[in-house]
Amino acid sequence: MTADEFIAVRQYTESEKYAIFDRELMPHIQSMYNFAFRLTQDEDDANDLVQDTYLKAFRFINSFEKGTNAKAWLFRILKNSFINDYRRKSKEPNKVDYQEVETYYDSEEMAGTSQTTDLRAETVQELLGDEVTNALNALPIDFRTVLILCDVEGFTYEEMAKILDIPIGTVRSRLHRARMLLKEKLKTYATHMGYDTSERSEDEESL
Amino acid sequence: MTPESSSSAEAEKVVKKEHCENHANCMKLIQMALDGEASPEELEHVRQNLGNCLPCNRGYNLEKAIKQALQLRVEQKAVPQSLVDCIKSKIHEL
Repeated sequence: MTADEFIAVRQYTESEKYAIFDRELMPHIQSMYNFAFRLTQDEDDANDLVQDTYLKAFRFINSFEKGTNAKAWLFRILKNSFINDYRRKSKEPNKVDYQEVETYYDSEEMAGTSQTTDLRAETVQELLGDEVTNALNALPIDFRTVLILCDVEGFTYEEMAKILDIPIGTVRSRLHRARMLLKEKLKTYATHMGYDTSERSEDEESL
Repeated sequence: MTPESSSSAEAEKVVKKEHCENHANCMKLIQMALDGEASPEELEHVRQNLGNCLPCNRGYNLEKAIKQALQLRVEQKAVPQSLVDCIKSKIHEL
């Protein structure tokens, strides 16, 4: 938990606290639950994580400026609770994965244009929701997280930087890496499911 | 204003590049454009590339398809009503 997260900026009355909680925080519970479920990949853990986050948010509601970005504030608390309380207890192969990913990415980058030529937009459009979800869930957590925040939840880079406590440049590069990895996963799924992943031939050009 | 700017049917038949010498950087810009995070200059650059570069064109279509798949087709779980009720009652116990 970073220190600046829960610095009181206001002194709300008891009734104001409940009003803010109901009107500004609770409306985001559906998104919060999905975020928690995608991070923990477990319904019970997601329940606990969302509940802990909301109780924490209420306890420190004086550090929330009424009328500002409640969703980003809540997501940040949830993400920090996850790192502090949940990620630790789950066996964590992600550190190793991350290292592999960096290496993989660098070699891909060296290879230049190979990254996008072998998966077709049409193939992605044919994939089922389950297949897309599985590909996303198969990514190491840091990469999964940026894709959820950006593409599923629609946060801006600036909001993501605040939620994740990283510079915007890191948001950008992590997203880029996440998307390269996701493409690999999608391609693997598509191949297994028998979709055509062959490269588009030159004469197929007439759009 | 150059004479070329009056687009004729012939001008539409631009021969697109088969190879992009700057593809890694182009893909970064394309993603920023799709994320709504590109500056007007960067957007213009992307627009021009899409018009005359095949790898960029394919890359753009692919990134867009993936982004839409994540936006629209990732499974959403309904939050259990029991969780909502539990949080509300705990708040009022505090």
